[in-house]
Amino acid sequence: MLTLQNVSFHYGENGPEILQNIQLNFGRGEFVAVTGRNGSGKTTITRLLTGLEKPTSGRVCYNGQDVTREDAAARSRFIGYVFQQPDRQMFMSTVREEVGFGPYQQGKRGAELDAVVDEAMHKADVFRFADEYPRTLSRGDQQRIAIASALAMHTEYIVLDEPTSGQDGREKKRLSALMSQMREAGITVILVTHDMDIVAGQCTRVIVIADHHVAFDGTPDVLFSEGRPEEWGLAYPASVRMGRSLPGAPYCKDMATFCEMYRKARGIG
Amino acid sequence: MMKQLVPITKILLTGGTAVWALVLHRPLSLVILMAAELLILLVSGQLLKNIKAVLMLGIFAFFLGLIEYIGGGEKEECVAAALRMMDMTLLFIYLLGTTRLQDLTASMVQQMKIPYEYAFMFTAGLRFIPDFIEENKAVAEAQACRGLAMEGNFFKKVHRYMSIVRPLMLRSLSRSETMALSLELRGFGGAHRTFMDSVSPKGADYICFLLLALITAGVIYGRVILNF
Ligand SMILES: Nc1ncnc2c1ncn2[C@@H]1O[C@H](COP(=O)(O)OP(=O)(O)OP(=O)(O)O)[C@@H](O)[C@H]1O
Ligand SMILES: [Mg+2]
Repeated sequence: MLTLQNVSFHYGENGPEILQNIQLNFGRGEFVAVTGRNGSGKTTITRLLTGLEKPTSGRVCYNGQDVTREDAAARSRFIGYVFQQPDRQMFMSTVREEVGFGPYQQGKRGAELDAVVDEAMHKADVFRFADEYPRTLSRGDQQRIAIASALAMHTEYIVLDEPTSGQDGREKKRLSALMSQMREAGITVILVTHDMDIVAGQCTRVIVIADHHVAFDGTPDVLFSEGRPEEWGLAYPASVRMGRSLPGAPYCKDMATFCEMYRKARGIG
Repeated sequence: MMKQLVPITKILLTGGTAVWALVLHRPLSLVILMAAELLILLVSGQLLKNIKAVLMLGIFAFFLGLIEYIGGGEKEECVAAALRMMDMTLLFIYLLGTTRLQDLTASMVQQMKIPYEYAFMFTAGLRFIPDFIEENKAVAEAQACRGLAMEGNFFKKVHRYMSIVRPLMLRSLSRSETMALSLELRGFGGAHRTFMDSVSPKGADYICFLLLALITAGVIYGRVILNF
């Protein structure tokens, strides 16, 4: 369990307050979406979790142990981070070395190192680029290399900052599938996103940040069927909107559910 | 008031102190010059803002002196060399910290009569520094997230600088292409050129010119006649 306890934060000496009294728990095996308007502080929350920023007040705890003072290097034993701009995080000359950097720092060498690197590259489907220079690959590929780099460290938590923005449908599907796979493998996925289709269709929980606070923390079906997501600038997923026009207005978390409901309503199949 | 001087005055001031630093050769004179420069930085509000850069210059100057000492230099000469290095570079922090690059370009073209293309190349080249800092920060964070504890390890830092050279080059290349294109589109190289702001000297600037000339004369006199 990773928790933010009463965390407040501002950048610089006396910058404006970005977050106030944030109270959040991230449990094992969850697939959590963090969403909110541009500049609401989503990236900042993830930077606090990974230790790249330190809270101005409050505590960060991991399994009940206070890790507030630990830096990002120390916290890398349990949390991995895929940056909003993945090209900025690549610094080795081949994909294989890039993926191997983390486990090498953890002390793995030789055959053991090769094994974890190969496994991670296969999982993220980047094996065929193993000997290429990471920065010249497409953004989607870089995203998956960054994921492979986190997987190779066997972290319990992985943060992905807007991985699907600006990606085409095919790349989005690949990333969604990869995130689901990670979750099935017991990794807690913390996904910063504006993509409500993924939030409704895949996430077990959604956190909305607005006005420096946690404005909503619950399941996507509650957010979209009882909450007022438009207040926080969030759109309804297409499947949810279409579901409402069916008789009985069922909640459809994704298109597959909608199709099923539609067939039922029409008495087909 | 140190902030309101026009760029040409600041350029002359920076150049002037560099000349004084070259002319003076006794550690004490160089220390006094350094104190004056630090005062200028403090008054213009740049000292605390750029304290890291000042320290870096200090460390660099120290190593310069040390190398000279190891190479068999006189103690006093080495101290003077380090101080001179410090004196010559300190005010660049003030110049770059208080002048916008556009104004610097305008000043170079209008008053120093440097051809626009060259002045532009110079200021465009300076853009490399923030790029470097940004890139370095991003890579440092990425490495920290992958378990590299960095705190104060010189060799790891050097290794990191090596690893960002290539991405930096790639980025600069693609950026210079974009820049060339957008310059073309906006008529770069046309015959008539206007600048956004006036960079002509005003009252305070002329006073500074006079002071600069007087001090320069004084420093040279002091060095030649009184052996400062
Ligand atoms: N390094 C920084 N220094 C000062 N202010 C910052 C810094 N980084 C972010 N901010 C400010 O903090 C606020 C929150 O930024 P953050 O990046 O966390 O937002 P976000 O929700 O991730 O936005 P986006 O959807 O655009 O990615 C913004 O107002 C931003 O301007
Ligand atoms: Mg962000």
